[in-house]
Amino acid sequence: MFRVIASKMIVPNMHLLTLAAPAVAREAKPGQFVILRAEEEGERVPLSLSDWDAQSGTITVVFMSIGSTTGRLALLAPGASIPTVVGPLGNATEIENYGTVVCVCGCYGIGSIFPIALALKRKGNRIITIMEARSSYLFYWEERLEAISDKIIHITRDGTKGHRGHVGRLPEILRGLEEPVDRIIANGCTFLMKRTSDETRPLGIKTMVSLNPIMIDGTGMCGVCRVTVGSVTRFACVHGPDFDAHQVDWEELLQRRKTYMPEEVVPLRTSRCEERHFRSQEGKS
Amino acid sequence: MSDPEKKTLDLRRREMPKQPPEVRRYNFNEVALGYSAESAVEEAKRCIQCKKPLCIPNCPVEINIPAFIKSIAERDFIGAVRILKDKNCLPAVCGRVCPQEEQCEKTCVFHKKGGQIAIGRLERFLADWEAQQRELEMPEILPSSGRKVAIVGGGPAGLTVAGDLIKLGHKVTVFEALHRMGGVLIYGIPEFRLPKVIVTREVEYLRKLGVELVTDFVVGKTRSIDSILEEFDAVFVGSGAGLPWFMEIPGENLNGVYSANEYLTRLNLMKGFLFPKYHTPVKSHRRVAVVGGGNVAMDCARSALRLGAESRIIYRRSREELPARLEEVENAEEEGVIFDFLTLPLRYIGDENGWVKAIECQKMELGEPDASGRRKPIPIEGSEVIYPLDAVVCAIGNSPNPLIGATTPGLKIGKKGNIEADEKTGATSREKVWAGGDVVTGAATVILAMGAGRFAARSIHEYLSSL
Amino acid sequence: MNLNSVSQILDFAIEKEEEAAQFYRDLAAKMGQQHVGEVFESFAREELEHKAKLIAVRQGNMTLIDSQRITDLKIGDHLVEIVLSPDLEYKQALIVAMKAEKAAFQLYQGLASSTDDANLKGILLTLAKEEARHKLRFEIEYEENFLREN
Repeated sequence: MFRVIASKMIVPNMHLLTLAAPAVAREAKPGQFVILRAEEEGERVPLSLSDWDAQSGTITVVFMSIGSTTGRLALLAPGASIPTVVGPLGNATEIENYGTVVCVCGCYGIGSIFPIALALKRKGNRIITIMEARSSYLFYWEERLEAISDKIIHITRDGTKGHRGHVGRLPEILRGLEEPVDRIIANGCTFLMKRTSDETRPLGIKTMVSLNPIMIDGTGMCGVCRVTVGSVTRFACVHGPDFDAHQVDWEELLQRRKTYMPEEVVPLRTSRCEERHFRSQEGKS
Repeated sequence: MSDPEKKTLDLRRREMPKQPPEVRRYNFNEVALGYSAESAVEEAKRCIQCKKPLCIPNCPVEINIPAFIKSIAERDFIGAVRILKDKNCLPAVCGRVCPQEEQCEKTCVFHKKGGQIAIGRLERFLADWEAQQRELEMPEILPSSGRKVAIVGGGPAGLTVAGDLIKLGHKVTVFEALHRMGGVLIYGIPEFRLPKVIVTREVEYLRKLGVELVTDFVVGKTRSIDSILEEFDAVFVGSGAGLPWFMEIPGENLNGVYSANEYLTRLNLMKGFLFPKYHTPVKSHRRVAVVGGGNVAMDCARSALRLGAESRIIYRRSREELPARLEEVENAEEEGVIFDFLTLPLRYIGDENGWVKAIECQKMELGEPDASGRRKPIPIEGSEVIYPLDAVVCAIGNSPNPLIGATTPGLKIGKKGNIEADEKTGATSREKVWAGGDVVTGAATVILAMGAGRFAARSIHEYLSSL
Repeated sequence: MNLNSVSQILDFAIEKEEEAAQFYRDLAAKMGQQHVGEVFESFAREELEHKAKLIAVRQGNMTLIDSQRITDLKIGDHLVEIVLSPDLEYKQALIVAMKAEKAAFQLYQGLASSTDDANLKGILLTLAKEEARHKLRFEIEYEENFLREN
């Protein structure tokens, strides 16, 4: 069992969870992910690592509460335990001195891009961070990212902070920079990464994304996470999760992510009373 | 055999009761129900206790078969269990999924006359009988050697090594990537063929023997073999064949096209058939085609049936060549799985939303026998057929998982991605590293993996004793 | 190209074998996994053996035997084109080889049908059969390794 060290909602619907997982914390590298199970009957969900501390043996993930499993994870209180934390899985993000790197992030990607931006900064890159959200109150970890970014740019749907609009404004923002951009890294929902990819392809700037398809085991065994990259089928869990954005078949990825959409809401629609009643009986006996 | 015995030869194998097909095709409960004590004793009494038994050499883990059968015949079930468990730490599993018809039972002296002793059923009976007793008997464990062995993978090979080495006094830790021990026994073989409580029971037995079981630990990711060797005296790699093959035909990434691993893992490990009580979703498909003809294909097709789908097997060769156990083929046929023999999938056809809606196949014919006398299937031009469906499960095989090879410098990897290991000892190109089971041979059977584990355990023990 | 005599055809075929060997050697050098690189190396060596055989034929030390019909298992025909990337597996290496040999077979077949000279047609068809034999060798290896369950 893996103990919950900290759990909080950092902005509406966005949750931060810190878990005791010393073996994972010891090996973790930027860009890797873990698979969690919220309870014994739970499904396995992959979440990117947003932070870790090898010394205290803890890891931190940031996630949005959208389905039944993330909903359960969001309800965990410090001191509680979950049955599975396995990782670090996937390959680490390539960290080199590229020159100027633009980190585009939104949603949970604001959390997961932080260790990547930090490592890139330490390697000597100039870091320009572009954060996107529907509204200014949905930004988090701004101080953290400010501390390691040479420049930070905000985009909000409602214009409450920075540029108004969404990541589609990327080309003009990039044109407005005084310097050429050597690499772009995007973390966040599939739409944000796809749109970033669409916008940067004509500019010819190498763009890396961290893909988030459906997974079960995370070690290459089930093959459900297959994505087409440069006409080749890849398993995001073992060949990724980072891929060259301009090679990704985004339509297929979006399609495959929808596989279980109808089923995802079933647990939310059912009362689970059977389960709860049995549990309370077990508790009494 | 001598004449006086011949008069009393009883060639009637005692039948094992099963759930009737029309009932079992709607549930995930075990199909075969096992012998009663009476039938087991009757069956055991048929064994003539050959002076030079031919069954033992054909058992990959060298169980003293006539001896345990004799004990059953004498109603000494405890004694029989002791003999069985001396060589096999997973008897309830083997009694169910071993292909006995290809091994011990095939060389039984009664085989020619069709009355071979039902060794597998007797093994199963004993294991189940023991489980019903209040207390399990613990075997003798030798005094601690002070040596530590790490085992990578909690499947049949790894668990066998663990069981053997713990009894010899070594400290054993098993690292399993998934959240439950058992490997293919847990994620692959369905409940109706191998109830998971049985696997759990056998794993718990190892825990009671003192084996340390670590789940959610991916060797190669969470920790490398080299790092493990700083703490342990030896490592056994039994990480299995966990990289699914696809057909390499168009349309394979459409929604509704599964690898057998995914399909079975959702159902077995994640208990998707109990969705939403268990949270891993499983789609309810109406028509499912399973490509392949092995035991895994049968498991997928029979699972699909139980989930309420029309289920068909698409196999390139004819019925005679099916690599699945005959018993499982017959079970599938009785339950209503449709078989399309001599049929080859050419492509998957998708709808406008990216879901598979049909499969185009070509009919095959068997060509002239080749040098080895086998007849290979050859496509018949113009014989294309299209089957409408809403799911395809690709059950054509697996490669060894590349994770260990990729993260262990100096470990020799064969061209099929397998770890190269000595057949008799499991020794690899790396000192202190042994390997066995599917990661060495490619996908094979549970019992062959256990056999490899037994050989490796012997070799590891010799090495540890020499330190 | 000029393919007006048996020796010209043989020269052409020898060159093709060398090209094929080079193709496999280049692939071998690109492979990320050593064991797959070795597979392509072994394919390259086979092509060089074919080349040596043709050289022997040209020198008159050997005759090409027009053997019986070569079975076409057609295993590669419906498989997708393999994109040549550094992380190919053995399975995909075999598909690459099956398709390459099939293409070579079709090349000689095409050349044979475009000439009326019975002698030249004969040698081209024999070369086509040689390629068909090479393809069969890869098909059998593919079938025995990767289609056991199918």
